[in-house]
Amino acid sequence: MGKTTSPMIEALQAELSTALSDKIQNSVIAFNELTIEVSATDLFDVAIKLRDTHGFDQLIDLCAVDYLSYGESEWDADVSGFSRGVKNKDDLFNFDAKSDDSTTSNVEDGRRYAVVIHLLSVQNNKRVRVKIYCDDNDVPMMDSVHSVWNVANWFEREAFDLFGIIFVNHPDLRRILTDYGFVGHPFRKDFPLIGQVEMRYDEELKRVVYEPVSIEPRVLVPRVIRASQGTKDVTEADD
Amino acid sequence: MGIEASNTQEAGFLTTSADKLVNWARTGSLWPMTFGLACCAVEMMQAGASRYDMDRFGVLFRPSPRQADVLIVAGTLTNKMAPALRKAYDQMAEPRWVISMGSCANGGGYYHYSYAVVRGCDRIIPVDIYIPGCPPTAEALLYGIIQLQNKIKRTNTLFRKVEA
Repeated sequence: MGKTTSPMIEALQAELSTALSDKIQNSVIAFNELTIEVSATDLFDVAIKLRDTHGFDQLIDLCAVDYLSYGESEWDADVSGFSRGVKNKDDLFNFDAKSDDSTTSNVEDGRRYAVVIHLLSVQNNKRVRVKIYCDDNDVPMMDSVHSVWNVANWFEREAFDLFGIIFVNHPDLRRILTDYGFVGHPFRKDFPLIGQVEMRYDEELKRVVYEPVSIEPRVLVPRVIRASQGTKDVTEADD
Repeated sequence: MGIEASNTQEAGFLTTSADKLVNWARTGSLWPMTFGLACCAVEMMQAGASRYDMDRFGVLFRPSPRQADVLIVAGTLTNKMAPALRKAYDQMAEPRWVISMGSCANGGGYYHYSYAVVRGCDRIIPVDIYIPGCPPTAEALLYGIIQLQNKIKRTNTLFRKVEA
């Protein structure tokens, strides 16, 4: 992680740390890109500054993250050789206990939702990642950056639809992907994969109707057959 | 067709039953409605293009359900799309047939456990032919269309029964 940091990125880190010293809570160089962390209240001012004085005139992506089950695996990683970047049990995040130590780790303080914004400066050929943690886990809220970058409009609708993050001052915060009248936010980690309802056509009503879901949830465990094992078996069979 | 002895042929006539004539006409011009939903639609286009050339079977894609005889459900049917699929099916004139193409349309397939996908398009519309595959090859789709033609040829009534 971040072993090949270029001087350009380090210069950007220094530049932003000086200019936004009171707003930046944390700044990390990861995957050859700078990540700065700001609070939800400071976001709008930071966004204006990044656009107007630092040249970040393009918003590439805006998405949300749910850290509820971060680092946990749905199946035993040892059996199949499959893993999802599983960490030790000690490293798992405890969301019940809220600590005030937010400098050492990004998510250990119990804040569940984050919004990540990717910015590009065409004139300076630089990129920056802005991460905002929502303070309230029940009603995650942050300012809309739609008035700073127009493209954020549909990205924010997507984050609202899938994660239920409320963007204050968004001009048209409707669902964008899920069905009309959909209940819940499907990308939240506590949303069941099979959902709550399923659909069929009703001959008497002459329209499609929703009914409570009839199937049982199931964790799909892939059965991994390693290529090395396969070749070994073949050579043994040849002998 | 039930062509009788060769003396009628020499005279420029042939005889057949009305059912067989109707079925011949129906199987010879199965016009499907364009209803591509996902990657299966690419295979469907492939089947329609010059290499496999569904035109040989009188299969021409129509952009309107009112002009179509067959609805090929080619891809994943989501909950949001389901009312639109039913509407398109309802707009088709009788007689009409439905081909369910690929695992997703047959039973949800890869997305069977998804919150947003209909677990088989036969929950929404009645299906005549199921084509397996993910996605089915263009040959498989052609085979399915030929199977549908065989099914239509077996029909002995001039008019399709309308369920009350």
